[in-house]
Amino acid sequence: MSDSTPPPPPAGDAPPAPAPPTHVGSPTDFLKGVVGKRVIVRLTSGVDYRGILSCLDGYMNIAMEQTEEHVGGSVVNRYGDAFIRGNNVLYISAAEAL
Amino acid sequence: MASQILPLELIDRCIGSKIYVVMKSEREFSGTLLGFDDFVNMVLEDVTEYENTPQGRNSTKLAQTLLNGNNICMLIPGSEGPQD
Repeated sequence: MSDSTPPPPPAGDAPPAPAPPTHVGSPTDFLKGVVGKRVIVRLTSGVDYRGILSCLDGYMNIAMEQTEEHVGGSVVNRYGDAFIRGNNVLYISAAEAL
Repeated sequence: MASQILPLELIDRCIGSKIYVVMKSEREFSGTLLGFDDFVNMVLEDVTEYENTPQGRNSTKLAQTLLNGNNICMLIPGSEGPQD
């Protein structure tokens, strides 16, 4: 058993499975480097989630710890653990030096 | 026929330089392009995020960012935005 990744979640459109990158995995390199760091995840809705990135996958599904939910610049909620479905993600930004 | 340049090749030439990204929504990003993938998800550095609202244009500064290609509309190599 070489593949330890979970089966892709059912998606309406073609699942973006890890395709051969145009350039030496720049997004994949970024994702490897950012795990365990503080990140800001902004969704297409404009809501921010700031926390420590636990893990993520090729769909940009995200698991985070110590998450703060920011709406309009102020904290509205805090979650110990948060899972964000990747289709909602606008960007993942490093909040600390990588 | 003049030699053609493919779109992804154009973006590839932009790696290491400034690029301006316009989203499908009223949002834009300016930054240095570190890389991208087949889906044109983009890794940018020293990013300024611009939000165009009826109230005005606000900007946010971000460090290294992975921008989801799903919402990207247009890429402008070598630009910093409308002020350019």
